[in-house]
Amino acid sequence: MGVMDTARTVGIALDGALSSTYEEAPLVAELQAGSEQAYSYLLGRYQNQVFNLISRILENPAEAPDVLQEVFIKVFKGIRQFHGDSSLKTWIYRIAIHEASNHRRGWMRRHWHEPMSIDDTPGEGGSSMAEVRAGGQTPYQVLEQAERQEIMRRALASLALPYRTVVVLREVEGLAYDEIAQVTGMAEGTVKSRLMRGRELLRRKLVGCLGKTDV
Amino acid sequence: MFEGCVEIRNHYSDYLDGLCDPQAVKSIRFHLSYCGSCRSELEVWETMQADLRNLPRYRVPPELALRLRVEVSRAVHKKLLGWLRVWMDNVLQPVLLPASGGVLAALVCFCLIMGSLVVPASKTPDVPLGSPTPPAVRELAPIDITTGDAPVVVVVPVDAGGRATGYRVISGESSPQLLHELDRVIYFSNFQPATWYGQPTYGQFVLRLARITVRG
Repeated sequence: MGVMDTARTVGIALDGALSSTYEEAPLVAELQAGSEQAYSYLLGRYQNQVFNLISRILENPAEAPDVLQEVFIKVFKGIRQFHGDSSLKTWIYRIAIHEASNHRRGWMRRHWHEPMSIDDTPGEGGSSMAEVRAGGQTPYQVLEQAERQEIMRRALASLALPYRTVVVLREVEGLAYDEIAQVTGMAEGTVKSRLMRGRELLRRKLVGCLGKTDV
Repeated sequence: MFEGCVEIRNHYSDYLDGLCDPQAVKSIRFHLSYCGSCRSELEVWETMQADLRNLPRYRVPPELALRLRVEVSRAVHKKLLGWLRVWMDNVLQPVLLPASGGVLAALVCFCLIMGSLVVPASKTPDVPLGSPTPPAVRELAPIDITTGDAPVVVVVPVDAGGRATGYRVISGESSPQLLHELDRVIYFSNFQPATWYGQPTYGQFVLRLARITVRG
């Protein structure tokens, strides 16, 4: 089977939400063989998901590009050690969580803020006036929604890392409890308790920000 | 099953995720049916969950995606031989065309210069310079000479024009008949003049004439 055929077959399987270990086997084999096309396919498939995950977990989303790069370098370097015990997505997420947790542990890293260009467009989508009209929302509604999202983002970022991680994995990425347990390396019971605690903390922060009735 | 609002609210997380067993779900729903405070609290949880799920997703900017591919490819292929090959490609490929053109241009220039420097081969044989050459017989006149048994040896002076200016018998018979025949031979023969540094000049040479008897 050719590389592109493999990538296409796997692509169909993954697009159809059938990303089981069996379906991923040809892609993993191609990756382990060092296929450039398989690397490209994997990047195209997972880079946005991992980028979103990392951006939500890190306190400063501006650091996400560096972490994303490290994640995929580790993925490609370590693909030979992947034996299919979990799904590829879970394995990549585990590396991403590990990298995001290890990033900027030192004082210098925590206190260093990278300069941002005023020309940079934010990765998080903002709505243009055309989109506002097309979406049928008034500018006031769009502004209100943007403010809510910003408050939610800040509240989420202010959570302690262990709670933030499970909340993001569950609510933003939509992972199941067993998948979160695999990604974080915790027991399902721990995931459950941390998720409950994280949600409760988040609710309290949001009540403090918006007022009880708004939340 | 549950006795108070605090106990109920501790199960909201599981309830939202659908992880409560049917009996617990029934108990929670029963409590919510009459407890407005817990109902509004659950709405808060549901709204918060919806807001979390509606957060816009970060997407990789195109320039970052490109940089990511390059960096990952570089990191993955960071092996000694691979690095060497890439380095060779990067170093040699940019100079390949200029280097080839340079070599070709140098070759063309070399051929042009060498072509102009090489002296064309002369059609006439080289004249030995720096050494004198004696006069010689170019073509002897086919005239019979009755020399007798002893050979006749004569000295023939030849001028710069290749003409014999006379002769002198130094050995052999010198009868009038022979001298007459010698006159004719010397007169009709063709001589090559002597040269000095390539220039024809006066000279003389010794000519030996003898009878050749062929037995048949």
